[in-house]
Amino acid sequence: MANSLRLYLTCIRNTLEAALCLQNFPCQEVERHNKPEVELKTSPELLLNPVLICRNEAEKCLIETSINSLRISLKVKQADELENILTKKFLRFLSMRAEAFQVLRRKPVQGYDISFLITNYHCEDMQKQKLIEFIVQFMEDIDKEISELKLSVNTRGRLVATEFLKQFI
Amino acid sequence: MASVSVHQFAPCITCHAWSPDQSMIAFCPNNNEVHIYKMLEGKWEKIHVLHKHDQLVSGIDWSRRTDQIVTVSHDRNSYVWSLEASEWVPTLVILRLNRAALCVQWSPKENKFAVGSGAKTVCICYYEQENNWWVSKIIRKRHDSSVTSIAWHPNNILLATTSTDGKCRVFSTFIKGVDTKHSSSGSDSKFGEQIMQLDLSHSWTFGIRWSPSGNTLSYAGHDSMIYFVDDIGPSPSAQSLAFRDLPLRDVLFLSERMVIGVGYDCNPMVFAADERGLWSFLRFLDERKQTSNAKYGSQLSGTFGKLYGQSKSGSNEANESSRIRAHDNCITSVVPLKKTRDATVTTFTTAGLDGKVVTWDLQKQQDLMAYLQG
Repeated sequence: MANSLRLYLTCIRNTLEAALCLQNFPCQEVERHNKPEVELKTSPELLLNPVLICRNEAEKCLIETSINSLRISLKVKQADELENILTKKFLRFLSMRAEAFQVLRRKPVQGYDISFLITNYHCEDMQKQKLIEFIVQFMEDIDKEISELKLSVNTRGRLVATEFLKQFI
Repeated sequence: MASVSVHQFAPCITCHAWSPDQSMIAFCPNNNEVHIYKMLEGKWEKIHVLHKHDQLVSGIDWSRRTDQIVTVSHDRNSYVWSLEASEWVPTLVILRLNRAALCVQWSPKENKFAVGSGAKTVCICYYEQENNWWVSKIIRKRHDSSVTSIAWHPNNILLATTSTDGKCRVFSTFIKGVDTKHSSSGSDSKFGEQIMQLDLSHSWTFGIRWSPSGNTLSYAGHDSMIYFVDDIGPSPSAQSLAFRDLPLRDVLFLSERMVIGVGYDCNPMVFAADERGLWSFLRFLDERKQTSNAKYGSQLSGTFGKLYGQSKSGSNEANESSRIRAHDNCITSVVPLKKTRDATVTTFTTAGLDGKVVTWDLQKQQDLMAYLQG
């Protein structure tokens, strides 16, 4: 199982290396403006083909590129209802603090759990390899975090239930 | 080692140009200014700051004979600067653009210059003596998308352009009163007449250049291809070369048979043609193997900083230690520095998003010198 995770992450890493070739590009539609073309989508010639990498039915990653920006959307594995709620709450917590992350998008793209928006300005300020490393590390950590949260919820539930029902013995 | 000197001028450099005597460098440090540095007593000193544009300066060119600097910017303006008594004085250019200007180049005779823009047009500007300004004639309705790069043919009339619609076009820019008619050049062409259109690339095209004689054209495509075109006219012959690495941003002809390509690999690539005229990739220019932990300084805030810091330490050491190159980030432009009498370039500089200007000298590269004499 860990093997398929390695393959999945390597595939995403290689795609990002090719896709993160961004450059400063002023808006063609509005004068004096500079917008991330992947969000705007008004000029189809400036967009590249989106790449969808699926690990299985539940986990996938969509990478959409344009001339000056890149959007990565992730769908995290959610096995049951509890994981569903935990993932939603945890990722919402992170998305609301998107300013601190700089490359995080405030709202995930429709159909996904979390999205990143990397622009040419991020590539100018930061190293490309480090950005890719960050994304991949993030994906590994998310899985760990959700499992830990689920474990602690279950443990706490068991403890609370035991304490509560003791009074009926 | 091919790189002669490395100097960090700013956090990030958009474009750069050298003065005719190669003593001064003008560049844009990723803002709305142009900085001019001069080498005084072995150190680079900032001697002028040209401050007139409102937005990013996207193109700078320094003319050889008239010693004028032309700058274009994302704010749709352009200025021609002349040195008068140690001050750079701007002259207005009436560009009539309604989108950002992306690239600029002086013509070989330096009586005109061309500007590529995001308005899908190319402006050819010439000087009007009566009003003391530069006026433009615009080539419209030929491009489907932004014009990313332009190059003048040595005959001062033909102009080649590349665009984000993936096509390369050659136009005639004959202006009555500015250009003299050559009876030898065949049919007298109208201004803005499209001589040729090439649809070789599936992706955006950048960095177009003519060879020193004007026989060959070369440009790079974002699909990691470089194209070489001969016999410009009704039936051109083109070669497409695909390579395994990241795409190129700019190219430079060193001689008739050698081309340097620079781009997202942070390493100049050398392409050469053999006797039959077939182009191939020779090698990367920067072959350095060192292991050192370079410190990457960047301003980050809060949580991202912590996680980013983690990724710095947790990154794959094998990737880093294999190659420490002159450039850390994408190389955006390559400019010739020294030309020999027969117009071959042996020294050139590259500038990139890491803010470094690296000078490369090929005199010591024995395997490459053979192509330079060709």
